[in-house]
Amino acid sequence: MAGSPEYNFAGRLAKRLGEHSYLIDAASGETILPCDLPQLISNFAGGLLSAGLKAGDRILVGCILSPPSSIAYLGAMYAGLVPVPIEEGVLMSSLSGLLKGTGARAVWTETDSRIEGIVDTGVLALRGYPEEKRTYAVPPAPREENDLAVLVATSGSTGAPRFVMVSHGNLTANTEAIIRSQNLGADEKAMLILPVSYCFGASVLHSHLYQGGGVVFDRRFIFPDKVLHAIQKHECTTFAGVPTVYNILLRRSNLRSIPMPSLRRFLQAGGPLAPQRVAEMRAAVPATKFYVMYGQTEATARISCLDPEHLEEKLGSAGRPLDNLTIHIVDEEGRKLPPGQTGEVTVKGPSITLGYLDEPEETHRAFKDGWLQTSDLGHLDSDGYLWIDGRKGTFLKMRGVRVSFAEVEAKLAAVPGVYECAAAAVPHPESGEALALYIVADKAAGEVVERVRRSLPTYWTCDSISIVSEIPKTARGKVSRASLPKAS
Amino acid sequence: MENVLTKVQDVFHEAFGIDAQLISLETTPNEVPAWDSVGHLDLASRLEQAFGINLDVDDLMEMENVREIIRIVNSKL
Repeated sequence: MAGSPEYNFAGRLAKRLGEHSYLIDAASGETILPCDLPQLISNFAGGLLSAGLKAGDRILVGCILSPPSSIAYLGAMYAGLVPVPIEEGVLMSSLSGLLKGTGARAVWTETDSRIEGIVDTGVLALRGYPEEKRTYAVPPAPREENDLAVLVATSGSTGAPRFVMVSHGNLTANTEAIIRSQNLGADEKAMLILPVSYCFGASVLHSHLYQGGGVVFDRRFIFPDKVLHAIQKHECTTFAGVPTVYNILLRRSNLRSIPMPSLRRFLQAGGPLAPQRVAEMRAAVPATKFYVMYGQTEATARISCLDPEHLEEKLGSAGRPLDNLTIHIVDEEGRKLPPGQTGEVTVKGPSITLGYLDEPEETHRAFKDGWLQTSDLGHLDSDGYLWIDGRKGTFLKMRGVRVSFAEVEAKLAAVPGVYECAAAAVPHPESGEALALYIVADKAAGEVVERVRRSLPTYWTCDSISIVSEIPKTARGKVSRASLPKAS
Repeated sequence: MENVLTKVQDVFHEAFGIDAQLISLETTPNEVPAWDSVGHLDLASRLEQAFGINLDVDDLMEMENVREIIRIVNSKL
């Protein structure tokens, strides 16, 4: 097969590892030294090949936010295999469906021995590192730019898992653009609490290692202070989180009193974080820059980034497209709209992925002539900044007017005393649909309901306002509208 | 302590849908799949309601297993 080791993303990454490329498990203290990491990746790759696997084979990789599962993921890619990173818990509970959906020839987990009993015949079950006495080191497998590098699971519209096909070229292009957008140096160390099976988590791992930096993994975000202390102890420079993570840090941690002098940047993606919360993060940790970003698995990971220098001026925006991407806003007929007008966000460039595995029709619909149809609705302002206004299907129609849940939630979030909020639609005899609002109140719940009621425009119909203790979220930290309690 | 444990087990059942009998003093988040960062907050607010107590940020950080949860609850009753 033609191709070059130069195009193998994991091969390029391994070559670029540097003196700061530590992998550290914060909970146990287990540390992979920079001098050992390239060898471990290469050895893991060689171990897979000598187990009988070959380039192009797919392998499910159970991820548990640890150095070994990251090495397994990178090692498989380095060998020319196609890793399918899946959180270990999910892997164990839906193994047969995942094997069937991906055609994987092997399953790897770090520690879970149950795979040996339940794997189908003909599927290789692997655990831990290859036997240590032997050396299996191999060079990176030659690959083409458009060869499949990784299959990333994402939830499809029906809730069944769907796999996005990401090429080696996609990973290289997106990683390099991310590094430029965040000014990553060669001495970075990321604190990673997001799984590598999630494109945002993977992008943090990729960009930091590719630049010669390191990664600290921490599974203890249940106790956020432990993570903050680990940032301090390991002198991390980057922290990445979804909106829920920042809401928890602001409300349920000692963020304001645990010093983190090494921390250069907070990265936020995975759905909109209320601008008020961004401002609170700035006030809580003023010395650390705050990057708001927007992305999709279908675009490898990141699409746009709000430069911290323009954060206040453009607060609420998703920033400008990465420097190798073009964004067009289009109407329902696919015609490009001028700045200021809202339509579907479409994106073109070298990190737009190859499409969905075994779903040619859906791929054709979502990746039209190289333009990713994001299903997000937004507009560009006259400076080229992207503003996300909602998502297709995330609107309700009151009195004949479409209103996005995002707009409602942004309005609620601005009411003093509202900590988190969610909106849902309920049928209404006069308005067609009406709002059911759910509020997590800061303190005095009684007054908050009244304040929220007064803040609503008169042309919206509100059916109910419920005070709840938490807003139900999906595994990715987005509001799970389907799980909101039925309002009484 | 017996009574507090039973009540805590009930709260775990409500919060995480887990059989109350599977909850022992030694149970940690590792054994309960839904006990993640968001689950922890849900658990805390359910404990606050069930026992009529207030849990602050430092309490939440110490709730590393059921034994610790019971110790913290008892200290506030």
